Amino acid sequence: MNKLFRAAAVAAVAALALTACAGGGAASDPSNVSPTGEIKPREISWLLSRPADGAVINIMKKLADDYAEDHPGFALNLITTPDRPSYIQKLETLAAANKLPELFDTDATPFAQELAKQGKMVDADKLLKSLNVYDDYRPGALDYQRFDDGSLYMIPFQFELEFIWYNKALMEKAGVSVPKSLDDIPAMCTALRNAGITPIAIDGQDQWPLERYVAYQPFREAGPDFVQKLKKGEASFSDEAGQKTVNWMADLGKAKCFQEGFSAQGYSDAQNQFTSGQAAMYNIGTWELPSLATDKLNPDVRDDIDFFTLPTTEGSVTSANEFVSPSGIGMAVNSKTYDPLVSDFLKFALEKYPAEYAATGALSPTTNVQTAIPANATPLYKKALETADTLGGKQAMPWDTQLDPTTNGRLQQELVLLVQGNITPEQFTKTMDDAIKQNAPKFFK
Amino acid sequence: MLPNRSRTSVLVFLLPPLLLYCAAVLFPILQSLFLSFFSWNGISEMEFVGLANYVRMLTADDIFWRSFFNALLYLAICLVLQLGGALVVASLLTSLRRGRELIKTLYLLPAVISTVAIAFLFVRIYSIDPVGLLNQLLHWIGLGSFERAWLSDVNTVLAAVSAPEGWRFTGLYMLIIYAALIAVPKELEEAAVLDGASKWTLFTKIRFPYIRPVWITTTIMATTYGLRGFDIPYLMTNGGPGQSSELLTTYMYKTAFTSTDFGYASTISVFIVIECLVAVGLILFMLKRKADS
Repeated sequence: MNKLFRAAAVAAVAALALTACAGGGAASDPSNVSPTGEIKPREISWLLSRPADGAVINIMKKLADDYAEDHPGFALNLITTPDRPSYIQKLETLAAANKLPELFDTDATPFAQELAKQGKMVDADKLLKSLNVYDDYRPGALDYQRFDDGSLYMIPFQFELEFIWYNKALMEKAGVSVPKSLDDIPAMCTALRNAGITPIAIDGQDQWPLERYVAYQPFREAGPDFVQKLKKGEASFSDEAGQKTVNWMADLGKAKCFQEGFSAQGYSDAQNQFTSGQAAMYNIGTWELPSLATDKLNPDVRDDIDFFTLPTTEGSVTSANEFVSPSGIGMAVNSKTYDPLVSDFLKFALEKYPAEYAATGALSPTTNVQTAIPANATPLYKKALETADTLGGKQAMPWDTQLDPTTNGRLQQELVLLVQGNITPEQFTKTMDDAIKQNAPKFFK
Repeated sequence: MLPNRSRTSVLVFLLPPLLLYCAAVLFPILQSLFLSFFSWNGISEMEFVGLANYVRMLTADDIFWRSFFNALLYLAICLVLQLGGALVVASLLTSLRRGRELIKTLYLLPAVISTVAIAFLFVRIYSIDPVGLLNQLLHWIGLGSFERAWLSDVNTVLAAVSAPEGWRFTGLYMLIIYAALIAVPKELEEAAVLDGASKWTLFTKIRFPYIRPVWITTTIMATTYGLRGFDIPYLMTNGGPGQSSELLTTYMYKTAFTSTDFGYASTISVFIVIECLVAVGLILFMLKRKADS
């Protein structure tokens, strides 16, 4: 028995020691972007949140295989969790355990900024410059990845424009036209409802699509800085721009703009509603071009689909060509595991990636390549891509990447209640201002 | 009584599972208790805050209390469906002469279906646009005025997310109770029938008292499972709309993995552990008192 106990004790101590060793390890210098030494091929991992059969993953797989031909022993292990909330939880847990892989996806969230502050991410600004690719990137694509202080720690792999897609035939049936102002939308919804048409199809289950709407009025009224101030408690929902969006959201709800029971409907539900001609509008980005502007689209509605960009408002401080133009979730490089191999592979991949990506018909985050229009595209495809050429200098940031996570969660919950008419604009304003006051100081010290 | 040598063997064989239990259950509980005295976002330094998390939870967190009362209501609905439903079905099964196995299997089926599938299935059943099964049924039977978006209506969502959980485990508890019911000695029942006992008297005076130990076990199981209910509400509504279907478990999970407030999430988890222990204690106390009386 004594021997048994001794063996168990030794095993327990060994396990603890191993755990401690695995969890340790200090971060290297994040600004050292050109590590010297021999390139020793090994398997590296990229923890990412992108569709498993999407262009980014397919291209990077191919590039990794090409790189491995000259560097036997190299492999890129792609670990994807496309569902964003699950991915974020995975990322945060791995970060807490100090077990982040060589490459990982993240938005420019307050949590990511904390990681950067602790020196756990390589300075992407310096990295891209050292690889001589920095100037190829669209400024907007890089700006989307920057933290508030202008620092850059994530590399973009996409560039998207978000539009409001609409069905011309349904609009005509209801006797309405493309809104000139954001303020026209509630009345438009009422007219569509009166004609028996669902005005806007929305994925309520994932919460971020509704949160896009709350960003629109303040972006027009007070510019991109409003959310930067709001998240730190320097501006509030009680302010003029804040009240404008709160009342507008309540008006959208009163006018029954979204499909009934939208909060329990998912991404594909919303897409199906629009593409089957049941809903008049659908707010989504160019990542859905293959399903909205090619012959894959239902022939019954194919010729009726068009899009408009975010309407302005009277006295808007941002222009019609400025709206949400995200460059997707960014890729961060773990400074702890950054070595000559990772550096060399990134140089190889980032140089070749834009051409491969543009060939798939997607907008590259760089300007040095021309996007190929797929053979099965409708004229709308080209029109959507060309909009990128006339983009203005300011961009509306999605609020879910800006607010601290607790406030963001509360905002997503309260927005549904506001739009459903379960709470008043006053209640919403008070709850959210209190939430920011309570949670923001911990994140934005 | 086992001879000494056998008792030692039993103890030796009990030790590994006991150690495993300590490592997998007791250690995380103690770790949560420890973490609950800290403020920690997972990546920065842990900051000792004493009882501040407990004070915040009990006095200044409206979502916590909302989740707590939601969890109690969720539990009540689950218990009625699971235990009440199980008892009724098991009792009816004992009077059935043919087709018992088929009915048992059918009732047990939901318990082996994955939670994710159940959640998606019920999202479709409750849907209003496109019209789901429930709203369609209401329409057919002339109760069209009751049609609604069950998962988006703050007044119905909690019951709507509780029902699948209750439905799912009714078969499991039915099997346990059925096994207990068929073990009731027939001579006791026959004697009671000869004495002129009605079916109700037979059930309340003979059958139920006889299966009381099994009933206590199933009640404890169903209660602790209900208090830990998480996956179906999380998958169906993510606690919404607003906090209408937020349970302590979903709130704890979000606090840890969305808000990255691991200290406060640990405080909520400690509360859940205490809540489960109190619930089990209360059940044992009430049932024992009833048995004594």
